[in-house]
Amino acid sequence: MTMTVKSKLAAAAALSALSLAACSSTSATTGSTAASSAAPAALACPAGQITAEGSSAQSNAIQEAIAAYNDACKNKAKIEYNPTGSGAGIKNFNAGLVDFAGSDSSLKTDEATAAKARCKTNDAWNLPMVVGPIAFSYNLKGVDKLVLNADVLAKIFQGQITTWNDPAIAALNSGVSLPSDKIVVFYRSDESGTTENVSKYLKATAPSVWTPDTSKAWKGVGGEGKNKSSGVAEAVKATSGSLGYMEWSYARDNKLGIAQINTGSAAVELNSGSVGKALEAATITGTGNDLALKLDYATKAAGAYPAVLVTYEIVCSAGLDTAKSAIVKDFLSYFASQEGQAGLESLGYAPLPTSLRTKVASAVQAIK
Amino acid sequence: MSAPTTMSSLTAPRGSRRVTDVVVRGLVYLSGVIAVVPLVWILITIISKGLPVILSAAWWTQDLAGTTDRRAGGGALHAIIGTLEIGLITAVVAVPIAVLGAIFLIEYARGTRLARGVSFMVDILSGIPSIVAALFVFAFLITILHFDRSAIAAALSLVLLMLPTVLRSTEEMLKLVPDSLREAAYALGIPKWRTILTVVIPTAFSGIATGVVLGLARVMGETAPLLILVAYARNLYLSPTSDTMATLPTMINTGRDVAETLAGYDRVWGAALTLILLVMGLNLLARWIARAGRLKDR
Repeated sequence: MTMTVKSKLAAAAALSALSLAACSSTSATTGSTAASSAAPAALACPAGQITAEGSSAQSNAIQEAIAAYNDACKNKAKIEYNPTGSGAGIKNFNAGLVDFAGSDSSLKTDEATAAKARCKTNDAWNLPMVVGPIAFSYNLKGVDKLVLNADVLAKIFQGQITTWNDPAIAALNSGVSLPSDKIVVFYRSDESGTTENVSKYLKATAPSVWTPDTSKAWKGVGGEGKNKSSGVAEAVKATSGSLGYMEWSYARDNKLGIAQINTGSAAVELNSGSVGKALEAATITGTGNDLALKLDYATKAAGAYPAVLVTYEIVCSAGLDTAKSAIVKDFLSYFASQEGQAGLESLGYAPLPTSLRTKVASAVQAIK
Repeated sequence: MSAPTTMSSLTAPRGSRRVTDVVVRGLVYLSGVIAVVPLVWILITIISKGLPVILSAAWWTQDLAGTTDRRAGGGALHAIIGTLEIGLITAVVAVPIAVLGAIFLIEYARGTRLARGVSFMVDILSGIPSIVAALFVFAFLITILHFDRSAIAAALSLVLLMLPTVLRSTEEMLKLVPDSLREAAYALGIPKWRTILTVVIPTAFSGIATGVVLGLARVMGETAPLLILVAYARNLYLSPTSDTMATLPTMINTGRDVAETLAGYDRVWGAALTLILLVMGLNLLARWIARAGRLKDR
């Protein structure tokens, strides 16, 4: 852990030393990483204080980005992020209580109208910043590799498949001896963007089995609700024969088994590469610098992991207090830079694909 | 259990009464133990998990700037200062109102319909859940008057919780001051306001101070108003008008879903232990004040 942080800091230090003398850190070695970055973030490091609030799914990522930004800028600005949930974040952003919001879904029409009023009649932009894949984690002794697909997942969550040695699961896992234990399903009891994305994924890929609507509240059959991703992760860890969904970072932090997903041709492992491929299949539905995405959950692209959650930073395109706007812009330009995104994988997130990242970076530069 | 209903128990009352005695005594002792078990359990868990964290000097001298749930280091200075600062603002606002209110009720309006009305209202106020007090302040200051969230706003909602506690305890203390003392002062020609200032308050002082400290200890552990009225922060903020300020309860709340393997998990236990120490310290202070006051009377 310390090693990866250190090496990342060294990279950040090298870049900032190259790009801006004012922010350069100690012990910069020239030229090692600069070549790979198309537009290195020229950090201005303004002093002051901003507050952000919202999605807990991106909490770990933005915390790390804030700490790394503070390292690069020697703590000149105070940046707070409160992981109170997407709904609370948007509400408080629109009420003018926080300077930007983190959200698991882009602004809906009425939210966008309220956001426009908050930004002094300027549009608010959805900037995809953190990609949090959803892990289907299991606890089965002796099973190191488990393959599932959307149809099987939907049937498990709808209570139609109840044991681990069900023929449908066995067919995907030839050569693996599956126990005859009951499948204990854990889901989120609180309303959550993760649940919403799981239901969207299942609705798009197994519509005949997953008949309920997509929603932030879990609509599965059976199973046991747990509070927050941490609750689901702990329950899966403690219960043999269990299956639950959570952000990748929670599965990694708790060292849980993660099911691979068969999208048609082959089983796809959850890693940053397979998530990046899924994001390439996404289309941008926003206009201009508003980069709201529509994910293609039913993608059949080879090697693409389809169950992905994209969290946005929701910002005013203009109209924020000048001093605060400068920090928002500077911090987000670091977050959207190559070095800002590079550290995310070790936390259980996937970096934005380069094509999308450059769009986000130029949108950040356009903030007034 | 062994009620004397059967023939044998009637013929041997001694034995059955003895059994009843043993059984009931056992139950009473057991209840006593059961009442203590949760407390001891909580203390052992929190001390064993929190003590290693709070023993480091950094815990008391640093905030969490530059750390994450994964990056170790940092401390709880921001939350400790925030808790104390919000507590202080609360006390500065609540104590004068509560003490003066109690003086009015006991010295000036005792027995009148107005006093009974005010007392009744104060009793109702003391039954208000903290979340309702918080929402009231939020609706008034932020939704209607368009103020920002701030430490002061949080303190004001805590005032609503502290006010009735302190007012009631001060009222009881003033009632305990014997009327003969007041009458002696009047007999010497001392005006009423001076009697209150130089006779009644000094006599009841230790009791009033105990009530104030206990009221403060009660509001310091409150979480709901802090969740709504001031955003949690990882940096140290000193300004009471700041819209972000950390406190120990919100530090615990923010960190409670951190995975067990990470540094942030240990900090939650540290914050819990620090909060317990703080509240326990205030309770001990209250006992000390009460005892010191009693000695002086003699």
